[in-house]
Amino acid sequence: MSRNRLALALCLACAPAIALETRSIVLKNHLFSPQSIVVPARQKIRLVIENQDPAAEEFDSFDLNREKVLFPGRKSVIYIGPLEPGEYSFFGEFSPNTARGVVIAREELHAP
Amino acid sequence: MRHNLVLNTVLTGRLAWLLMMPSVAMADGMVVDKVYHPYVLPLEREVEWRLLSRQSDQGNILAQRLGLGWSLTETMTIEGYAIGERDQDDNFDMAAYEAEVRWQLVEQGRYWADWGLLFEYEKRHKESAYEATVGLLFEKEFGRNSLTLNAFIVREWGEMISNEWESEFRAQYRYRWMSAFQPAIEVYTGEDFVGVGPAVIGLHRFQGQKQLKWEVGFVTELSQVSKDHSVRLALEFEF
Repeated sequence: MSRNRLALALCLACAPAIALETRSIVLKNHLFSPQSIVVPARQKIRLVIENQDPAAEEFDSFDLNREKVLFPGRKSVIYIGPLEPGEYSFFGEFSPNTARGVVIAREELHAP
Repeated sequence: MRHNLVLNTVLTGRLAWLLMMPSVAMADGMVVDKVYHPYVLPLEREVEWRLLSRQSDQGNILAQRLGLGWSLTETMTIEGYAIGERDQDDNFDMAAYEAEVRWQLVEQGRYWADWGLLFEYEKRHKESAYEATVGLLFEKEFGRNSLTLNAFIVREWGEMISNEWESEFRAQYRYRWMSAFQPAIEVYTGEDFVGVGPAVIGLHRFQGQKQLKWEVGFVTELSQVSKDHSVRLALEFEF
C-alpha cells in the first residue's frame, strides 16, 4: 500500500471521531435536563453531562450499555451508539426515582 | 487523535500476536475461569466469589476463590484473592493468593473497540511457586451483542514448579437480552486445553451502587476424546 493510500485509510478510520454529534445534559437537583434527547439513528453520539449537584451520581443504562460516575462540578463524556431507531432509557443510580431520562434515536434526522 | 490511532493499531497488533502465539505449557493449571471486561468504575468496591468444578476421567477438581476489590483511580482497580482447592485426598484447603490490577485504557465507546490491561501476581500457599500474568482485554459492541476477548501471557517460576511461559486465550460472545439474563458463548484455550460452552450472565440492582452480578458457565473440552467438563459460577457484589 502506498503512503498516500495508507494516509487516506488512516483519515477514514479517524473520521467518525472528528464528526461526532454532541448532546449536552445538565444534572441538577437530581434531575436530568433535558430528560429526553433526540439523536440520529445509526450514528455514534457524544453525550456531555454536567453534574451541578454537590454529590456524585452514577449514569446507568442497560439499554445503552453504559455506566459512568458523574463527579460533582464536572462535565463527563459518554459515547453512545450507533443506535437502531428506538428509545433507550437511562437513570441515576443514587436517585433512580427522579434522575431519569431517555435517548430517542430517530431515522428521519438523517433525511436532507 | 494520532496518538489514539497509534494506540489502537498497536493494541490490535499486540492482540493478534498473542492469539497466534502457541501454548507451550504442560497442563499444570485450570484454564476455565472468567472472561474479563476492559471497564473500571470509580468509587466502587466489590466482594467476589468464584467456583470451578472440573470433571474428567481422572476425577473432580474443585477450586474456589474469594476476592475483595476496589477502584484505585478512575481507570484502575485492584483486587486481592484467596484461592482454595480440593487436593487428591479430598481435603479442601488454602492453595494460593493473588493480586490483580485491571486498567481501562480507553473511554467506553469512543473508538472502534474498547481496550484494557490486566496484571496478576499469584503465589502458591506455603510453596515456592509463583505466577505472573499480563493480559490484553478487548471488547466490541454490535448493537445488543458484545464480543469480549482476553489474551494472556503467563510466566511461572519457583522451586515447586517448572519455569515456563504459557499463553491463554478467552472469548465471550454475549447477547444483552435483559439485565437479569444475558446468554453467552465462551471459549477458553491454553495449556493444551480447548473448551467451548454456554454461559449466562445476569445482574440484580439494589439501592444506589449496590448490585449483584452472577455468571454461570458450562465448558466442554474439545481437543481430547476423554471426558472433561467444567462448571463455573461467579458472584460479584458491588457496593
